[in-house]
Amino acid sequence: MKAILLRIFTWWHGATVGTLFHTWRKGEKVGEDQYGNQYYQTKGQRVDPALGIVRRWVIYKGEADASMIPAGWYGWMHHKLDVLPHQENYISRAWEKPHQPNLTGSAGAYRPHGSILQDNSQSSAKETYKPWNPA
Amino acid sequence: MAKIIIDGNEIEVPAEYTLLQACEQAGAEVPRFCYHERLSVAGNCRMCLVEVKGGPPKPTASCAMAVKDLRPGPNGEPPVVLTNSPMVKKAREGVMEFLLINHPLDCPICDQGGECDLQDQAMAFGIDNTRYAENKRAVEDKYIGALVKTTMTRCIQCTRCVRFTTEVAGVTELGAIGRGEDMEITSYLEQAMTSELQGNVIDLCPVGALTSKPYEFTARAWELTKTESVDVMDAVGSAIRVDTRGREVMRILPRLNEDVNEEWISDKSRFIWDGLKTQRLDRPYVRHQGKLKPVSWSEAFMTVAAHVKGKKGSQIGGIIGDLASVEEAYAFKSLLETFGSHNLDCRQDGSMIDPAWGRASYLFNAGITGIDHADAVLIIGANPRKEAAVLNARLRKRWRQTGLPVARIGAPADLTYTCTDLGASLSVLADIEAGKGDFAAVLQAAKHPLVIVGHAALKGSDAKAVLAAAARLSQREGWNGLAVLHHAASRVGALDLHCVPSQGGLDARAMSKANAVDVLFLLGADEIDVDLGAFVVYIGSHGDRGAHRADVILPAAAYTEKSGLYVNTEGRVQRGYRASFPPGDAREDWAILRALSEQLGTGHQLPFNSLNELRAFLFKDYPALAELDQVHAHSAAGIDALIAHKGAFAAQPLEPLFADFYMTNPIARASAIMAECSALASGHVAMAAE
Repeated sequence: MKAILLRIFTWWHGATVGTLFHTWRKGEKVGEDQYGNQYYQTKGQRVDPALGIVRRWVIYKGEADASMIPAGWYGWMHHKLDVLPHQENYISRAWEKPHQPNLTGSAGAYRPHGSILQDNSQSSAKETYKPWNPA
Repeated sequence: MAKIIIDGNEIEVPAEYTLLQACEQAGAEVPRFCYHERLSVAGNCRMCLVEVKGGPPKPTASCAMAVKDLRPGPNGEPPVVLTNSPMVKKAREGVMEFLLINHPLDCPICDQGGECDLQDQAMAFGIDNTRYAENKRAVEDKYIGALVKTTMTRCIQCTRCVRFTTEVAGVTELGAIGRGEDMEITSYLEQAMTSELQGNVIDLCPVGALTSKPYEFTARAWELTKTESVDVMDAVGSAIRVDTRGREVMRILPRLNEDVNEEWISDKSRFIWDGLKTQRLDRPYVRHQGKLKPVSWSEAFMTVAAHVKGKKGSQIGGIIGDLASVEEAYAFKSLLETFGSHNLDCRQDGSMIDPAWGRASYLFNAGITGIDHADAVLIIGANPRKEAAVLNARLRKRWRQTGLPVARIGAPADLTYTCTDLGASLSVLADIEAGKGDFAAVLQAAKHPLVIVGHAALKGSDAKAVLAAAARLSQREGWNGLAVLHHAASRVGALDLHCVPSQGGLDARAMSKANAVDVLFLLGADEIDVDLGAFVVYIGSHGDRGAHRADVILPAAAYTEKSGLYVNTEGRVQRGYRASFPPGDAREDWAILRALSEQLGTGHQLPFNSLNELRAFLFKDYPALAELDQVHAHSAAGIDALIAHKGAFAAQPLEPLFADFYMTNPIARASAIMAECSALASGHVAMAAE
């Protein structure tokens, strides 16, 4: 029941009813990433007259957050790549780190050095100088 | 004087003023990049354009045009200058647009961001967009030493750094090659600058082309707390601003003080701050069976009290170091006096100067501004370039203005200006007094002769004779040119307090000998080797020579961590302020002495409980120290007795006072930046020797 209500009344959770209807009518599923986000493009790769290119979109699993899209899918979504991350000829770069969504606002958010919000906010005052050691 | 109308206001200014100076006098703000009050006029940035009525029908660079160059109107009206006309506005916008063609838009990652002249003036006088889509010119970064980081793409070719190094610092190591867009500021050979004042190009650079290398990417200008203070790296007492973030000193910048440092400071003053964060004494130590063990304050005090108990005054001694403020020297002296001890000395370098000869015998009597009036200078034993780099820049300025004749007795050194070498032996002094030699005549003819005496010449038993001869050579009506150049920030203040042995007390050298005293207190004294034997109590901030020798270490505050008075070489009392707090359990020196005094038993307790109370006692005993920031220049009081003294001079050549400019105190020795500079400087020496 909650899921249905969320679906009808919210736009930030998954897709709206309108988007789902559009996806059902015009969309064609391309794949799914490790977070469960689903990626779609227009059926038969029809070129969207307004865009001049094939329309590509994502239906998030859970809350809609663009930083949830991992690097490979990001490239595909932005028409930088046509190769999908799960295809064989997809080249992953050596310097790519495992994808991490934006953690701002969550417990895992970045806290700068010396921040009192840090978990182990052991006073960083000690680190501002190096004591002399008589040994 | 000439009349001139600026923005409708008629004012009268000296005829040789530039239009820019006249505009400033009239209160009109003129933007500029290349123009700097203390450097020659270059006139190449074109930012200071103003409209001149009656002149050519084009904007004029106000920094390069003098008031006397302007023609009056047809009926003799004063010339008219406009700084806010539409033509000037358009000209400034045009210049700014040109400057920004090749300036990168990297302000977010630029260390100058927030304190950048180009940023500010682009906001105030520029336009809000650009018409250039072309690629920007890129310039390779240059290596110019361990202190100054270059990002030459940001350079707008104002040439302030080139003019500073050649004119003020006196090293021709920076220059420009190429023309127009291809002009580049370079050190030609990618070598480190050799000047002791090179850090000032960071302040001079109006953009982020030259920034501080040690400070690189550590803080932003607006997040720093600024504390105005006084430098203690030499006895000039340069005005500095200590920038802190939290409890950390992030950088040190000069402040304007026309009478002392103008707006320069030496590299040691500017880049010492990393030494404030290493090798710090942050807890008391007591030596148990040959090993220093951390203890509590009360334990440390008890240990000292146990060793002091039952000792006579003659068995106790104290040496004051080079960085001590007047307050702690006073507290130190008061504490020793409670024991009846006369073994007190502030001259750990072994100089023989004595306050009994009169205050005029140990001051830079002419004052630092007196250099601007000097017409002949004799330097005895001092190397002002190393002992007081900023003061040397003033000597160089006078030399550039008037061709000041300078002669020097002492170990050979490059002072950055022409200097007649009179040899390294003090016996030359007798010849000069007798009127022998060319320079003796110059000195005799001079109206304002300045005789600078360094501590290298005051270490022998002939110190009084040297001072007497210097005093005789430098007295004129209303002018006392006897100038003792100190190198330790604490020295003049401690001499004012008479912190020297009295009534047969031992001096620093005698106290450091084995078994001279039983208990020896060192107040930050690190430049002296204390032989084994005495029980040594070290009060100081850094784990240096004194701490290694100590039996009890009482951790104290460094100069940025306490408020204190310092008297500079000309006798100017200046007040430094606390910028951060001492690390760990360390405390301010006077508070340590006060707390210790209570533990030493009745009769030893010092009478003050706060710094203000201490100062009240200090000013009651020594009223002269209450006169902040004042100099009684040319006072010759008590110098007659000195002048009457005659003595022979030692024949052996003078040694340089210290070998390494960058390693003269415990903070500097703890600093990695200073160590790097020192290595670079000794590399230069090695290169020169090859």
